[in-house]
Amino acid sequence: MAEHRLLTKDFGTEGLQTLAVYERLGGYQGLREAFQRFTPETLVDEVKTSGLRGRGGAGFPTGMKWGFLPKDVFPRYLCCNADESEPGCFKDRKLIDENPHQLIEGLLIAAYALQVNIAFIYIRGEYFDQRLLLERCVEEARAAGHIGNDIHGSGFSCDVIVHGGAGAYICGEETALIDSLEGYRGQPRLKPPFPAIKGLYGKPTVVNNVETLSNLPHIVQRGGAWFKSIGTEKSAGTRLFCCSGHINRPGTYEMAMGTPIRELLEEECGGMWKDRSLKAFQPGGGSMQVLLPQHLDLALDMDAVQQAGSSLGAGAMVFMDETTCMVNVSMRLVDFYHHESCGKCAPCREGTYFESDLMHRLEAGACTSEELNTLADICDNMNGKCFCPLGDTATWFVMSAYKAFRDEFEAHCGAGSCPVRSGTAQLVTA
Amino acid sequence: MAADASPPMGADDGLVGITIDGKSTRVPKGTLVTDVATELGIHIPIYCSHPKMDPVAVCRMCLVHVEKMPKLQPACATYAADGMVVDTQRADVTKTREGMLEFLLLNHPLDCPVCDRGGECDLQDFAFRYGPPSSRFPITDKRHLNKAVVLSDRIELDQERCILCWRCTRYYDEITGEKELVLQERGIHTLINTFDGQPLTSVFQGNLPEICPVGALTHRQYRFKARPWDLQRAKSVCPECSYGCNINVDTRDFEVRRFASRDNPQVDDMWLCDRGRYSAESWNNVDRVRRPAVRRDGTVRDVSVSEAISSAARSLREVLDSSGAGSIAVMGSAQNTNEELWLLQRLARDVLGTPHIDHQLESFPGIGPAEHALAIADVEECSAVVVLGAEPEHEAPVLTLRLRKAATKRGVSVYRIDHDAGADAIGELPAQGVIGVIADETHRDHAARLCAELGRSHDVRRLTITREVNGRGAKDVGALPNSGPGYAGVGAGGKAGREILEAAAAGAIRALVVMGGSLWADGAAELVARAAAKLDVLVVIDTRPGPLSRAATVLIPGHAYFEKAGTVTNTEGRVQRLRAALPPATQTPTETRVLSALAAELGAAGWPADPLHVHRELVAAIPAYGLAGNGGRADFLVAATA
Repeated sequence: MAEHRLLTKDFGTEGLQTLAVYERLGGYQGLREAFQRFTPETLVDEVKTSGLRGRGGAGFPTGMKWGFLPKDVFPRYLCCNADESEPGCFKDRKLIDENPHQLIEGLLIAAYALQVNIAFIYIRGEYFDQRLLLERCVEEARAAGHIGNDIHGSGFSCDVIVHGGAGAYICGEETALIDSLEGYRGQPRLKPPFPAIKGLYGKPTVVNNVETLSNLPHIVQRGGAWFKSIGTEKSAGTRLFCCSGHINRPGTYEMAMGTPIRELLEEECGGMWKDRSLKAFQPGGGSMQVLLPQHLDLALDMDAVQQAGSSLGAGAMVFMDETTCMVNVSMRLVDFYHHESCGKCAPCREGTYFESDLMHRLEAGACTSEELNTLADICDNMNGKCFCPLGDTATWFVMSAYKAFRDEFEAHCGAGSCPVRSGTAQLVTA
Repeated sequence: MAADASPPMGADDGLVGITIDGKSTRVPKGTLVTDVATELGIHIPIYCSHPKMDPVAVCRMCLVHVEKMPKLQPACATYAADGMVVDTQRADVTKTREGMLEFLLLNHPLDCPVCDRGGECDLQDFAFRYGPPSSRFPITDKRHLNKAVVLSDRIELDQERCILCWRCTRYYDEITGEKELVLQERGIHTLINTFDGQPLTSVFQGNLPEICPVGALTHRQYRFKARPWDLQRAKSVCPECSYGCNINVDTRDFEVRRFASRDNPQVDDMWLCDRGRYSAESWNNVDRVRRPAVRRDGTVRDVSVSEAISSAARSLREVLDSSGAGSIAVMGSAQNTNEELWLLQRLARDVLGTPHIDHQLESFPGIGPAEHALAIADVEECSAVVVLGAEPEHEAPVLTLRLRKAATKRGVSVYRIDHDAGADAIGELPAQGVIGVIADETHRDHAARLCAELGRSHDVRRLTITREVNGRGAKDVGALPNSGPGYAGVGAGGKAGREILEAAAAGAIRALVVMGGSLWADGAAELVARAAAKLDVLVVIDTRPGPLSRAATVLIPGHAYFEKAGTVTNTEGRVQRLRAALPPATQTPTETRVLSALAAELGAAGWPADPLHVHRELVAAIPAYGLAGNGGRADFLVAATA
């Protein structure tokens, strides 16, 4: 089974970023069909039937998330989460760059299903060009009557507002995104109340990922049952995988769920570079636990990967070859969380600082082996105890790497320098 | 509370059954687990959560195990649910606590020995009780920040000591609404600061160091002045206004070092205003009347206190015999205790037989208990509150915080209108519920008219903000020319304060007894001088030198507010005890003893002399005070029907 192109099928078409080309290829038919064939309620049911799960990382069933909105509370808000900041993750940028109207159409379909009259696209501050592109596309769609009052005579009105973030990883967390959108410091809110009850401006709010929303035009046009037939029982549809690292063809590949990871690596990515062997890979972006070569036969299926002790997360695949120092990778990732910790809760703010300090000393070969226990202990004190998952995930990679490559960690203790890079340690221990 | 003493779970009484560490209880739905624990006597350490603010759950100290929950839950943000079983002692909970303390101490400076908070610091206390014995973090890698950020003329911030509990920013967001403090930067670099470096301007800044769980926010007035264990603490009432905020007076080396709040939910709700709080050091003023003295034939001579009292009695008797009771007047002040004022009005009415008694210069025609029907805490129960002019909140600043709480947390409509505006300035009032009307003493008449107007369609209750700490008590005990103890009628009545001084200046009043008059005399020095020049006898019992003490024929030193026991009554009628916080700056006995001795010299023996005994006589004579007890509210409208 090769790449399964659904969201990416028109990628590369010249001028796809313009409304004319998008419409020529059947664009905005999904929106029209949504108005013609569905009421908001039946549309929610259709999405439930499709088995679509959130593509932002947590994999929560989209239809169920929509169903949490209280029945009679208006206004409601919809936010598209385009704050893609996971290390190794770039699929949302690709979806916006290549086919922005697909996202806008999906957003409008969701807005119709949820009876939302103002939908926001919260886009990462660093995606500056993509923000300008989206703003232009929104204007185009507005001029064509896809956005505005009484869209296509349906009686449904919706406006779309593109909002740029200021460059914080935490703003991808939905409540922090909402705080940031409201103009506050982007920090997660205390839950409950959940955004579905009390979100943006204190009103019921749904936050959906770019890829999740981009699926909607296809679900509307071809039916929930059809969508469900792609992929596996519990992971329907396709997913975009952002493949990077020591591979021959890094890039974004759309695969049906359930395809073995090995196929993605060997057929799409062209295998490991320089004829080297795979040492480890991370299946879900910087947050997720490390997996080993023996896990290559796992299916690209949220539950299968979860059972192996990791997660598909936001669909970022980082492959590492035999020369990689796992302590070094851990250190770099810990530094990322240390930098991005919002500072709200003590274990994340102080814990990542402690972790980072320790990892730097470990990588420099200046730690004692006793301090490895300290590392495990502080990670245990953070994991599951932080205010939001940021602090928890700051421990996941390093702890899984410590478990799988314990010898390598221990070889660093007291070594005076990194033994992997200086060639004094065995390269592949797992 | 024993497990078997509580009713079975699932009973339909609007309560939920919850068990913490094997102790069960039933609590109203919506009670936080931490509050249940407190009720059960179980200690859960917390830094961020504060009883007066909404939960935020950022310090993660209070993580506890809740049955059926996969992760530990913050007790400060978890609501009790029926059948909930909580464990605060499991190994994972205690390990987490230790871990959080290690995190919080990671970058915390080891300057406890020079920290104002050392000795009363939650970080110290919890680290001692729950924390790890040492840090595993290399001390050389600690983060360093600014240790003395001047936030205003009153507050200084040590950013290194801050554990980012968010209490100060939430205080500004939720309690005062002024939003003067913000979080800046991100992650480990997060700082508390003012926006754009502007100084704080709030009049409630002094509460910040108190809600700070560590020594990050400090009072500039108190910085490096004392260690908590060197302080002597006395419970008292803030002397700066009639609102009656409860305070602890902390003294060291016989000087007042600071006022600390003493939460009374009925009055201050634990907040003090800066005017009150930072008046602390003014009580260390050494400019005092220290020795009794008598002036005869133009020369002033120090005498013993008994000689001074005898001399005062003799000269008062002379005037009484020569010119009659109507030529004698008595004046107290609104900073005297109820007991002193009670004896003072007895001296005037029962011994000297004069109707001329007052406690301040302004007169109060038509005074009655109806103008104090609304209690402070009842503001939250009103459907709407109308405040006349800026004066009530200027005179009693903490009222502002109560009004804000009522508006934001209880949905009370608060209308602030000009003090001369009518009901039409308010707009549509809620049809149901009690309407509160709050005015200051100057606008009593207008408040009365407005109440009459609103009273036609609504249940209206009025609160008059009295002046000075015991302005209300002085009126209740009858230190007024037109109203006796408990607002009893006094017939024709006597002269009010300013009239007494004018009459003295005109020669109609020959003798004047003044207790604590320096409170009003400084502002009327010219009138006092004119009166003193004509008076035959001027008996002054006072703490501070001034126009009165300089002109006195008999001068007896008084005990300052913090040097004596007694009670004062706040603006809503709450009778609150004062306890001596400092030794008296004079060797003369306290005012009640002086007045009792003076009465005895004038032929009225057997008066109580000790403030406690005077208080017993007072409550026996004024039933509303008997019902109020210690800390209760003297409600003359209720007492009249009881």
